[in-house]
Amino acid sequence: MKWYEVISTIDRRIIYVLLTVLVILPFFTRVTIPQNIMPQTQRLFDFIESVPPNDKAVIMTFDYSPQTMPECHPMAKALLKHCFARNIPVIGVSFDPQGPGLAVDAITSVVDRINHYATSKEDSLVYGKDYVYLGWKSGRIAAMLDMGESIAGVFPRDYFGTSVDSFPLMQRIRNYKEVAIAIVLSAAAYPDDWIRYPQTRYGVNIGAGLTAVMAPKYYPFLQTGQIAGMMSGMKGAAEYEKLVLEHGYARELGTAETGMNSQSMIHILIIVFILLGNIGYFFSRRQK
Amino acid sequence: MSTDPWIWIGAFLTLMIFSFLFKDNPFYKFGEHLFVGVANGYYIALYWHNSLKPNLFDPLSAGNYLYIIPLLLGLMYFTRFIPKISWLVRIPIGFMIGWGAGLAIPAHFQAEILRQLEGTVITPESFTNITAGIWSVIIMVGVVCTLVYFFFSREHKGILKPTSRLGIIFIMIGFGASFGYTVMARVSLLIGRIQFLLGPWLGLIR
Repeated sequence: MKWYEVISTIDRRIIYVLLTVLVILPFFTRVTIPQNIMPQTQRLFDFIESVPPNDKAVIMTFDYSPQTMPECHPMAKALLKHCFARNIPVIGVSFDPQGPGLAVDAITSVVDRINHYATSKEDSLVYGKDYVYLGWKSGRIAAMLDMGESIAGVFPRDYFGTSVDSFPLMQRIRNYKEVAIAIVLSAAAYPDDWIRYPQTRYGVNIGAGLTAVMAPKYYPFLQTGQIAGMMSGMKGAAEYEKLVLEHGYARELGTAETGMNSQSMIHILIIVFILLGNIGYFFSRRQK
Repeated sequence: MSTDPWIWIGAFLTLMIFSFLFKDNPFYKFGEHLFVGVANGYYIALYWHNSLKPNLFDPLSAGNYLYIIPLLLGLMYFTRFIPKISWLVRIPIGFMIGWGAGLAIPAHFQAEILRQLEGTVITPESFTNITAGIWSVIIMVGVVCTLVYFFFSREHKGILKPTSRLGIIFIMIGFGASFGYTVMARVSLLIGRIQFLLGPWLGLIR
């Protein structure tokens, strides 16, 4: 077998082993590959920075599933830390049936951590006053539109079965007029519906935290301003974590930032394999 | 190393699915079938408790008989399985298409055609910043050339030939960006699983 045939027919299992080694290795080394902040992530961060404390709420939609957790879960946690640190109330909802469990996990872990370090009752986060999670709703387009009239009308009870009207936060935040931005954390085309319906009819600002597969589709919406800012995949999450840390809103980085070292190593490996495959193909075609 | 049995179950199921990378095997098959079963059970329970029961059966049992209409419309979908009355399925489908089209067409037109056209048009404001101005021109050229590439009513000769060639370059750049992002997404999923195995399960990393 000629050398160019060898590099064109590398056993896939060798590639898998190399991939696994390069994913694991950065967790045990002190190598840090610096991440630059992309403009769309900075725009989302700046938007949240511009929201006055204790005023309008941020709606966060948890529309991702367990398989896309590595990308969307760190985004959710970083956003929650940012909002809570700035005293911006958060209303969580889900239109993806797999979202509720992950939403509760993200919210609980961030709230528990903040309350653990709280020095007084005023510093602690209180459910119903600082944040609520309203759960999952079917028929998302009708629900999104109806939330423009009354959020409590669409979600009369929260995820835990408590009447939404009993929460001080929901007595203040009745519809989109009292919402600064809706940030869609999604692994499917949910931001499309937010742009088409609530934004077109009610002028709601939309932010997005998307899996990397989806990100290219939404760049045109960023350019037109229909999306105020966006986090794209694990890199976007890592950038937001970094921004939140640098501004003193968090005590430590999340899982996305540490995962990005592995990500960069894998990118180098894939580039090498693409080059090898093309060189092999080029030489084998010349021989024919 | 974790003492939580759920973490151990998660770890073993992850390894079972990963074993397919070597070759198909009974452990992978078990993991796959378990996932399908659990997912089905989850969806049935979720839809019953969060959708069907509160939105249909609770109002019906409370004496609100207007809800019989959506119940009947829903049941008509099942007439597909009875050939003699299968034509009834056209009623709920027609209702859904009518409702969906009425809702979607104006919204699509506004959000995805008019606003995107606005974003493509070059105005004097586009050149307030030189970099933004250059990008506006590139976007304009890209949109026009790509549209020309998909214009099949006339043979691509003369001015249409180089324009459509430039269009295909823009399309290829778009595909390349999508592919790059897809690779990043798939690798992220692997990283997530490795973080789970090394962290919560084995306790080797934070």
